[in-house]
Amino acid sequence: MSAAALLHVVVSGLATGSIYALMALSLVIVYNATRTLNFAQGEMLMVSTFAAWSAQRAFALPLLLACAVAVVTGALLALVLERLVIRRAIGATHWDVLIITLGLSLALQAGAGLVWTHDQFPFPSFFDNRPIALGPARLAPASLGIIGASLVIMAALAALFRWTRLGRAMRAVAQNQRAARLMGISVERVYAAAWVLAAIVGAIAGVLVAPVIFLSSKMGLIVVNAFTAAVLGGFGSMPGAVLGGMLLGVIENLAPFYLPSGIRYSVPFLVLIAILVVRPAGLLGRLEQRKV
Amino acid sequence: MGGALVLLGALLAAWPWLAPRYFVFLASLVLINAVVAIGLNQLSFGHAGFLAIGAYTAALLTIHAPALPVIVTLVLAGSLTAVVGLAFGVPCLRLSGLYLAMATLAFGFVIAETLLSLEPLTHGADGLRVPAARLGGVTLATDTGRYYLVAVVAALLTAAAVNLARTRTGRALLAIRESEIAAQASGVSVARYKTIAFGLSAFYTGVAGGLFAFVVGFLSPDAFDVFLSVDFVVMIIVGGLGSVPGSVAGAAVVTVLHDGLASFQSYRPLIFGVLLVVCMLFMPGGLTSAVRALARR
Repeated sequence: MSAAALLHVVVSGLATGSIYALMALSLVIVYNATRTLNFAQGEMLMVSTFAAWSAQRAFALPLLLACAVAVVTGALLALVLERLVIRRAIGATHWDVLIITLGLSLALQAGAGLVWTHDQFPFPSFFDNRPIALGPARLAPASLGIIGASLVIMAALAALFRWTRLGRAMRAVAQNQRAARLMGISVERVYAAAWVLAAIVGAIAGVLVAPVIFLSSKMGLIVVNAFTAAVLGGFGSMPGAVLGGMLLGVIENLAPFYLPSGIRYSVPFLVLIAILVVRPAGLLGRLEQRKV
Repeated sequence: MGGALVLLGALLAAWPWLAPRYFVFLASLVLINAVVAIGLNQLSFGHAGFLAIGAYTAALLTIHAPALPVIVTLVLAGSLTAVVGLAFGVPCLRLSGLYLAMATLAFGFVIAETLLSLEPLTHGADGLRVPAARLGGVTLATDTGRYYLVAVVAALLTAAAVNLARTRTGRALLAIRESEIAAQASGVSVARYKTIAFGLSAFYTGVAGGLFAFVVGFLSPDAFDVFLSVDFVVMIIVGGLGSVPGSVAGAAVVTVLHDGLASFQSYRPLIFGVLLVVCMLFMPGGLTSAVRALARR
């Protein structure tokens, strides 16, 4: 493969990877605050993107406003689900909560199918589709746009966690819930905030990715890749989620060019198993010291 | 307890005469899923992969070596699955929790992909028709015949699982499940017993896969997708983790529910999902804890 073609593939891999990274961040935000793996994260992305699409078609909204609709829908959905379902299961074991989010994901997907059918729909893109020439290489504006937008969101998240009161509270709860509560932090409010924040990040990821993979009730399955990315980087670590997402995206895009068709779809998973064998807590993760 | 067991045995034996033909088939599926659920001793999202290995092994053995009695076929299916399970499990011994869950999920994907690409052997996406199982001169070609095969094998494996709990190995596994560190401190070789657990789990699932091949009669890789793995996890959590009766109950509930909701078509996942949520909200700890709570009252 020529250097120019390679650059093109790597950049589109990074674009796919940015989406995985955003979704992985959503999973990690919820996990750090509540120690729950939210299986429904992908379906929440799907529902908020569908809402944006419907609003955009019904009121001929500009795309940016449609994106705002997605964000608001995602946030409201997260708030309702957290308040009505997850909050009631606070005392339950992780397994019970896992099944609850699994149930939510099944219900949301089927519900979306009833409202919007299970067909695929094209989704308008923010970006032009004429390639940009960079020397001999040609890059898709959509790829560059997705990477850029994702980097902005990641920077915003980093700032939020580092400098705001809410961010500090969320970090405190992630470190030690009891100590955080004793310091006067409302852990319940942090739970809700984590769900809403994760849903907002997911909604933006949805609007970014929908033009590329089409809008459909099945697009929530992207959560599997996000989960892979988060584990690859080390679950719970935010830089790890970004690194894992990018790595996964690039591997997925490069593999078809170098490997026979029989195993190309297995490659990300084989890489994952290989990395976990060497580093059981992912690339940037630390093994939790557990006591009896 | 003894009386209840005799009653249960009698019901199992008499079922084909009591129930319509379709329910005999459904009961076979319930028992197969129960075997998987009993063997599923940790959170794994890859057991559909193990089931597939067992199913394809049994199918290919029956096609290429039709003289083999079905019991041998099933043992071979279970053993091969156990070997694959160990080959996968031993490198993953250091993993736990989410990381192990993710590795098993990855394993499931790799198996499904491999089945698709081994076309000369598995016929890829076209699927594979499984000939009837043979036991000596008898061909098990009816639902009732297949049901009895499943019932006997499931009963044997269930009895083995219940008895295992009373052995040294069983106690070691229980100790590891309660607390790995405490078990290690008490002199239990965690790595060794985890390996045994992995092998046993794969063996159970492999045998169940063999039974699945005969009962369903047709195999295609997409029958063994990640949703099936998720169903198995749902079974053990709805039933109540780590209890044999709970696993069987969970398998029965999930299998019958899937079947009963089939006529609702597109509403099926919606109803199933909502049921899962409601179930776990009002019955934390699954059926086993709910029954215990009722008994205490």
